[in-house]
Amino acid sequence: MTSSMLSPLALLHPWLVHPATLFILGALLMPVFCRAKLKNAALVIIPLLAFFQINALPETFGQVSWMGFDLVFGKVDKLTYVFLHVFTLMAVIGSLFALKVEDWGQHTAAWLYVAGSLGVTLAGDYLTLFVFWELMAVASTFLVWYRKKKKSMEAGFRYLLVHMLGGLVLLAGIFLKYRATGGDLSFVQILPSDAGLADYLIMIGFMLNAAVPPIHAWLPDAYPEATVTGAVFMCAFTTKTAVYVLARAFPGFEALAILGAIMTLYGVAYAVIENDARRILAYHIVSQVGYMVCGVGIGTAMALNGAVAHAYAHILYKALLFMGAGAVLEMTGRSKLNELGGLYGKMPLTLIFTVIGGIAISGFPLTSGFVSKSMIIAAAGEAHRTGLLLMLSLAAVGTFLSVGIKLPYYIWYGGKSEPSVPHAQDPPGCMLWAMAMAAFMCFFLGVYPEFLYRMLPFDVNYEPYTAYHLSETLQLLGFTGLGFYLMVKKLGPEPKMNLDLDWFYRKGSLGFMAFAKGPLSRANDWVGEVYRTIGLAWTMVTARALSWFDREGIDYVVDGSAKGVLDAGDRLRQAQTGKIQHYIGAAAILLFGIMIVVILL
Amino acid sequence: MTNVLLSNSLAYPILSVVLLTPLAGAACCFFIRNQTVLKLWGLLVTLMTAALSLPLWTAFDRSTAAYQFVEVLDWFPTIGLSYQLGVDGISVLLVLLTTLIMPLCILCSWKYIEHRLAEFIFAILVMETAMIGVFVSLNTVLFYIFWEAMLIPMYLLIAVWGGPRKDYAAIKFFLYTFVASIFFLVAIIALRVKVGTFFIPDLMAASYSFGWQAWIFAGCALAFAVKIPMFPFHTWLPAAHVEAPTAGSVILASILLKMGGYGFLRFCLPMAPQATEFFAPFLIVLSLVGILYGGYLALGQSDIKKLIAYSSVGHMGFVTLGIFLLNMEGLKGAMLQMINHGITTGALFICIGIIYERTHSRELQDNAALGMFMPVYVTFLGIFSLSSLAFPGTNSFVGEFLVLMGAFRSQPLVGAIAIPGAILAAAYMLRMLQKMVWDKSDGHAHAHSHGEAALEGLHGHEGEEGGHGDEHDHGHGHERKLWDLDLREMACLAFLVVFVFWIGLHPQPVLSVMDASISHLLEQVAAGQGALGAGTGH
Repeated sequence: MTSSMLSPLALLHPWLVHPATLFILGALLMPVFCRAKLKNAALVIIPLLAFFQINALPETFGQVSWMGFDLVFGKVDKLTYVFLHVFTLMAVIGSLFALKVEDWGQHTAAWLYVAGSLGVTLAGDYLTLFVFWELMAVASTFLVWYRKKKKSMEAGFRYLLVHMLGGLVLLAGIFLKYRATGGDLSFVQILPSDAGLADYLIMIGFMLNAAVPPIHAWLPDAYPEATVTGAVFMCAFTTKTAVYVLARAFPGFEALAILGAIMTLYGVAYAVIENDARRILAYHIVSQVGYMVCGVGIGTAMALNGAVAHAYAHILYKALLFMGAGAVLEMTGRSKLNELGGLYGKMPLTLIFTVIGGIAISGFPLTSGFVSKSMIIAAAGEAHRTGLLLMLSLAAVGTFLSVGIKLPYYIWYGGKSEPSVPHAQDPPGCMLWAMAMAAFMCFFLGVYPEFLYRMLPFDVNYEPYTAYHLSETLQLLGFTGLGFYLMVKKLGPEPKMNLDLDWFYRKGSLGFMAFAKGPLSRANDWVGEVYRTIGLAWTMVTARALSWFDREGIDYVVDGSAKGVLDAGDRLRQAQTGKIQHYIGAAAILLFGIMIVVILL
Repeated sequence: MTNVLLSNSLAYPILSVVLLTPLAGAACCFFIRNQTVLKLWGLLVTLMTAALSLPLWTAFDRSTAAYQFVEVLDWFPTIGLSYQLGVDGISVLLVLLTTLIMPLCILCSWKYIEHRLAEFIFAILVMETAMIGVFVSLNTVLFYIFWEAMLIPMYLLIAVWGGPRKDYAAIKFFLYTFVASIFFLVAIIALRVKVGTFFIPDLMAASYSFGWQAWIFAGCALAFAVKIPMFPFHTWLPAAHVEAPTAGSVILASILLKMGGYGFLRFCLPMAPQATEFFAPFLIVLSLVGILYGGYLALGQSDIKKLIAYSSVGHMGFVTLGIFLLNMEGLKGAMLQMINHGITTGALFICIGIIYERTHSRELQDNAALGMFMPVYVTFLGIFSLSSLAFPGTNSFVGEFLVLMGAFRSQPLVGAIAIPGAILAAAYMLRMLQKMVWDKSDGHAHAHSHGEAALEGLHGHEGEEGGHGDEHDHGHGHERKLWDLDLREMACLAFLVVFVFWIGLHPQPVLSVMDASISHLLEQVAAGQGALGAGTGH
């Protein structure tokens, strides 16, 4: 895969080797494409080019010396490759899904975001990584803002601030690392025994993007407010890029294993009680990424393989689910479960695709979720982590409950025989094709896990389709389904807002602004006026006193000579012509006169 | 100290030529009657000055810290005063910044200035000479003359062509800077009495007792701190910026504020190294306060110009922070941050001027949702906003990066405190950007048929909540006309965009110019501190 075969793009310009360059150039040329009616062609061709380009990457490329740092823009190994593969595949699907979007800005933002993610994946040093990391944060914010609703504006703003904060924590870590290592910033694995403050800061920066609680609140806050097509991109890249960097730098860190397991349950717990379709899915990202983070934390070859495989599978089925929920939102304008229902006759294809996504995320046999998720759970067992094993299995149940059953049930049935939105219909062809591609991949990976396993960073000695795994999974899923059937009334969606940790920064940011606008500004104005109230007042008093002295004291003396001055003034006035250049001329002559006198002295 | 001077490698006295060209141009202003010709003349003179200054870049010897292109002429031999000009790696960049920004000041005032045009061009050109003079002077008297000479045209720029509260702002500006520079004058005279020379390199070479240094430092630092402006001497800045015409704001932000930083580097550090070492922690604290306080206040503003003005307080906080870290990265970062701030903030003020000419308001509310009508404008605004918040790949990133790296290298805690300042920058810039580009919550838009557009219903309406929007028209606001950038405005901003990315992606050429001089400066400081270890001097 990392053959020395050169792609034709590399011959064109060495920088075109880097797949991110393709997206950046494409993003910048997007307005031109739109004007020249080449938009659709570009949206299909450029991601495909990138998808094939990753097979022609040299092992190391793009080495640049910048201000004394050795930047490495491209460093490829098996771990990089598998992420590049799924990221570029996802770019193909996401761009296809967004084909009908006319606004070039959205495509530009999406592609810059993809470029950021690819750049991080290929980065060989922390500085390069940081630059692309920030590009991701800013570009994805625009995917939220482009929804152009008041709520999205606010959510995007919070999203950006949180990511800026995370980015700066990362930057602080990088600086400290620079100080500690004496200038070596290469992005390589860190052993838990060697980790210092710098490494932990970097890890926190990464964890923020992986939405590890308690710094996860940005995700369910922002993703549901993003544009329909933007959310599809966002659900794929930010968290999985974070999983990649964690897997690269911090495998085997115990904190990750525990936090990851907590994540799986935390996300599911909120997903079960949520009402908004895309919010449910957003919480599921937290939960599913938990599996990956946990896998990275366990750190064995099998666990890492599982984490990577799960990231691969997750990107596809989660994107499929976001596409399904997005299609419903696009066609009906609604995403709250209690406002939907009865759409099975109106949007049948969307229903089928969404259900495929739902069973894949639940880990049904023959779907991608089964071959990847079970690998992490098995790795937890193999590493004798019974507690983790239990938590991960439990989360799987909740996943099936909320996404596999609840989400499709309430959107398409919900006990309503009449469609809740009469004019609803399946979305346009490009969206359906994008969903079909993702749905195909969900089954393809489930049926031919070898395709995925071959790409994994370590050799795979794992067989997902054993009798034990199959029966265990089917029993779990079967009982969950039964449970839903029995409790369908209790699980009904309610139009309420569930309280999560985002409350703190929602309220926090409000208070922050209020303080900046109110007391602080006023205090500053007051201080600014001090010189007026104290300094000037005193000056004015003395000035008035002086002017009295001036009038009564000096004037008495001066008045005598004033008459002479007045006479002279009269004479001068007659010499005035009113032309400013004459005054300047006179002034210049005077100046020269003075200078001559001074120099002669 | 003879090796500190490098005679002029060019066949003509380039510094005098660059210094006096604008002044000569200014003298001609009053002989031109036609308004357009007058503007063209101003543009021509500033462009010519810029062109004449380019050899400073190409012929500059980057391998030495010595003063280059030096000119020495006897002036008043009786008191030992000569006409001495020269630049090193620190000042040459600021001279170039000045000469390159000034044509833009003329361009951005093309339509805005309608009355007293001749006087306006005159003031701008005199201003240019004074500012260049500050950067190229090699003796304290010349320096002080130019330093004070700047005040008058700047005062006039605000007081004659300024906004509604121009008198107040102009006097505030004048008093603050004038009073502070009196202390500087005292310091200069004290140095003359002590060492017997006005020549700056000689003053640097002399050594002083710690007590002397402390007084010299205090006198100089006050003048420079007001100019920069450092917290708590910053209050004149927002007032001056808000009332000044666009050109005035650009000059103020891009060049005038840099004089403070330059002064620290030229006077305080080399002449009073022990005192610098002693005062550095206090100034670092003030810088940090400035970074956070300025950023915080910027967040609270609804007037765009005030917002940018307060952001300057924050950005210049990074400059003083970098200077007083007293290490290589910090000083280089501070220098670069000065250049960057000149480019980016200058550009932002031009952007604000452009929008003010269209909407006649600087309130964020009145300038919301421009994205649809002025796509080119918001693209530029976006680039400069990202640059201002130090987005990687833009110029400011390199500067702030170096300063933060310097901070983390010597005092990680300082770096940790400064970092939230960077987040604040993101917060206020993006708040502004988001509002100006999109925010539909305050109004709705209707496009006119001729590619022009009007925005209606701008005041105090909350937009549609949730749901998929049916558009209500609240049309009882005033109507305004919006048109996108013309060629002149685009040229202005495009020119600066080039620098944003050039320095952002490839800062080496700029850094290499200052390299030797900054190393030398650090040696001077270290040598001075060595003297402290050996005893207290004389």
